[in-house]
Amino acid sequence: MPAISNESYLDPAVLGGISDLELIARTVVDGFVAGLHRSPDFGFSQEFAEYRAYAHGDDLRHVDWNVFARTERAYLKRYRGETNSQLTVLLDASRSMEFASRAPSKMDYARYLAASLLYLALHNQRDAAGVIVFDDEVRDFVRPSTRAGQLARLLGALARAKPQARTDFTKPMTHFQEFLHRRGLAVLISDFYAPPEEIVRTVEPLRFHGNEVVLFHVLDPAEMKPDLKDAALLVDLESDQRFEVTPDYARHEYRAKLDAHLADLSTRARAAGLDYFLLTTDRPLDRALREYLTLRHHRN
Amino acid sequence: MGLFAPFFLLGAIALAGPLYFHLLRRQTTTPRPFSSLMFFEPRTQASMRHRRLRYWRLLALRLALLALLALAFANPYVLRPAASVANQRLTLLVVDRSFSMRAGNRLAQAKAAALARLAEVTGRAQVMALGARLEVLTQPSSDHAALAAAIKGIEPGDERADFATLARGMRALGTAAPVALELFSDFKQSSMPASFSDLQMPGNIALAMHPVGEAGANWTIASVQAPARVWGSPKETKPARVEAVVAGYKTPAATLAISLRVNGQAVGTQRVTVPASGSARVVFDALAPPYGWSRGEVRIENAHDALPADDAADFTVQRADPARVLLVHSAGDARSPLYFSAALGANTGDAAYTVESVSAAAAAERTLANYAFVVLSDLPAIPPGFDANLAAYLRGGGGVLAAAGSAAGGAGILPALQGSENLASRPLTVGTSDGSHPATALLGDWPGIHFYFATRFAPGDARVVARLADQTPILMDRKVGEGHVLIFASGFDDLTNDFPVHPAFVAFVRESARYLAGEAAERSSSRLVDEYLTLRTAKEAGVGVEVTDPSGRRPFTLAQAASAQTLQMNQAGFYQLRLANGRQQVVAANPDRRESDLTPISSEDLALWRGGPPGGDAPAAAAGATPAPKIPVDLWWYVMLLLLAAAVAESIMAARYLSVRTDLESPAPVPLKEVV
Repeated sequence: MPAISNESYLDPAVLGGISDLELIARTVVDGFVAGLHRSPDFGFSQEFAEYRAYAHGDDLRHVDWNVFARTERAYLKRYRGETNSQLTVLLDASRSMEFASRAPSKMDYARYLAASLLYLALHNQRDAAGVIVFDDEVRDFVRPSTRAGQLARLLGALARAKPQARTDFTKPMTHFQEFLHRRGLAVLISDFYAPPEEIVRTVEPLRFHGNEVVLFHVLDPAEMKPDLKDAALLVDLESDQRFEVTPDYARHEYRAKLDAHLADLSTRARAAGLDYFLLTTDRPLDRALREYLTLRHHRN
Repeated sequence: MGLFAPFFLLGAIALAGPLYFHLLRRQTTTPRPFSSLMFFEPRTQASMRHRRLRYWRLLALRLALLALLALAFANPYVLRPAASVANQRLTLLVVDRSFSMRAGNRLAQAKAAALARLAEVTGRAQVMALGARLEVLTQPSSDHAALAAAIKGIEPGDERADFATLARGMRALGTAAPVALELFSDFKQSSMPASFSDLQMPGNIALAMHPVGEAGANWTIASVQAPARVWGSPKETKPARVEAVVAGYKTPAATLAISLRVNGQAVGTQRVTVPASGSARVVFDALAPPYGWSRGEVRIENAHDALPADDAADFTVQRADPARVLLVHSAGDARSPLYFSAALGANTGDAAYTVESVSAAAAAERTLANYAFVVLSDLPAIPPGFDANLAAYLRGGGGVLAAAGSAAGGAGILPALQGSENLASRPLTVGTSDGSHPATALLGDWPGIHFYFATRFAPGDARVVARLADQTPILMDRKVGEGHVLIFASGFDDLTNDFPVHPAFVAFVRESARYLAGEAAERSSSRLVDEYLTLRTAKEAGVGVEVTDPSGRRPFTLAQAASAQTLQMNQAGFYQLRLANGRQQVVAANPDRRESDLTPISSEDLALWRGGPPGGDAPAAAAGATPAPKIPVDLWWYVMLLLLAAAVAESIMAARYLSVRTDLESPAPVPLKEVV
């Protein structure tokens, strides 16, 4: 059997051959963790961070009894990342996410990404994790929790997510604010086919409860660089609108417009305090995981 | 360059099709799904420009294909000097072998002239003979021996030549190569068609005329009127009359001896004075042929004219016993037999029918098969035995004429009775009459005939031939088995109607008798050469016929004898036939008497036909009237070859352009086991 490097576990094309979403998530996270150097910037819940004096009401189970025996003072042992944080993944399931010029589609890539983040949060960080699937409505919602079986519920929600409508951030985001009461991390995965100003204006209120909001912008390589050999009749997956498009236009004007859109969205997102990352479906998933851990570390 | 059929160039309108599909119609490529067209703009114009650049070769080929197709239908040609295609020149030697060429040594002269012309021919030549049809005797050939043999083998015919037939044959040649038509004929006036335009020939045919013979005085038997049949014993009947017309063409006044011969025996001779170029009538009251078919001939004994072959005219006559008709009437009815017999006898002065009148009681003892048809006159009832005989007689193809007068009762062979109508107070005339029925064909609307009584029948399956003004069927035709019953819903007694004393009654009885007896309409006893004889009806398919022509030969093979519907008589003389229905027949065929007029065509008409000045030499006019004559050379084949090449190129190029595009390809999924 040929040797497979850890990095290859993170290749979306390789993951496309696996049908079980949990296996994908475990493969990604384990491969990612195995290749991760022990950097002081990153830690896991099992790693000791500091002692804190016992206060009334603290759970006695976390008291370090060895220190108490030596010093007769009660200290609570605290670990890195143990901050009662929660992760909420907001997954865009609009029809435009169905597009694929190669495996996997944007939707599948977004599923892998969401599954990996949720697995990492639940298993490695012991964070509460939940998921919201939306298009122009909220299609599915699994409340953040650390209960047993939560991962199965989350992955089930991801598996059920079928692209079926247009993207409209306005209405779903209104509902998100009702769901996101606790401080935590909100990860929005979408292809963001909307005016940047509208996206940022709609998503920005999520931060008002102290949430960190991360925008993962998922695009297909063919969307970044459409490869048209001849004039082609393109059909909009969401609106069913049809255009006859020339290769010249796709090569020059389309790319210029897309680049402007990406730059505008990135600028506006960062200006609003949102983290923004552009991912293409041919890129490994570790970058996204790394971003997540970095953010979590900074939060703590 | 020109076009034989320029209207077909309208087909070039179809060029708009490819232009539309290539340039105007929106491209119908397979739609490709894309995430969002948010950053796209429609660019149709740019797309069209791109498409035109890619498909212009295919468009050009398709336009060429359609243009060539339209051009091929338009049939283009180029005019080339005749000298440049001299090696393709065909000399067509046509010898007239019509009946008039029997005059003197005209045919021998024509053949000699044709042989002389053949000796001068250097290229290919072909021999044809002109009669009623244009007969091809050889194929185009350079073998002068074979061509000369074909000319020498031409025999005189009895047919009539028509130069329109020649022109039609030339138009049907279908060659663009130059043709020198050498016509050897007596060029008589009567061979010209009614319309001069019928003589038009294609431009590549140069006509050269070679007249033979001199116009001479000619007498002929123009027509013979003789009965086709005579009836009864020759000893008991008076001789029949034969009338003949003697005509002269360019003849002086003369007294001619005209003889009548029957079966080779002279039965009479008369002298008649015929005025100059006029005609005279000769009557023989001496035709008393024996039983069976006889062959008659009317001949000019002392003509000594240019065409002796037309000095005699043939005819045939058949003698037979008269057919018997059984008239069954009620015991007290003496009027009906009287009127009916008188009408039947008045019709046929030569006594074709004899009427036997019997009462209904005596009729049952008669064998009906011995009668041509049976008449039932106003019978109150038909004895059961006779009724059964009648039914069997009809099923076997017999004929019955039933008159239902005031005393008539029902019978099994008649339609159902519905009562009667006494019209004495208000006599009715015939309202509608079917003129297509043989019995009423000559009656028109039965003028002046009044009906005082009519028996009402429900027609049922019978064909109503005539109705009274109140729509009461008065004459019906009912088919029973193979036979027919003609029902006259009134009497023949001059009491129930006045029909029997009306002249139309004679015609009605005659035609009804012929219809019920199954006789064909009487025709003249002589026919013309080239006429067609009907040998069988549609019902007689597969039954063999026997034909012996005037020369004693059988023109049909066995297969043809079993299937031929008609026979064209192309010889003068007597044709002996045994028809499909088993009857013997002898038919006389005489040449068309228009051939007897040997007056030549005027030089002006000949010049008009030839296209040159009157009196000009025909070959010279054909060959040298214009210094460098040009003939059209057909380009159709070349256009078709180009069309084929364009079609092949278009197919190849279209297959390349329209092959399946594989712009979007998905990578093959990696098997799970390689990952895990």
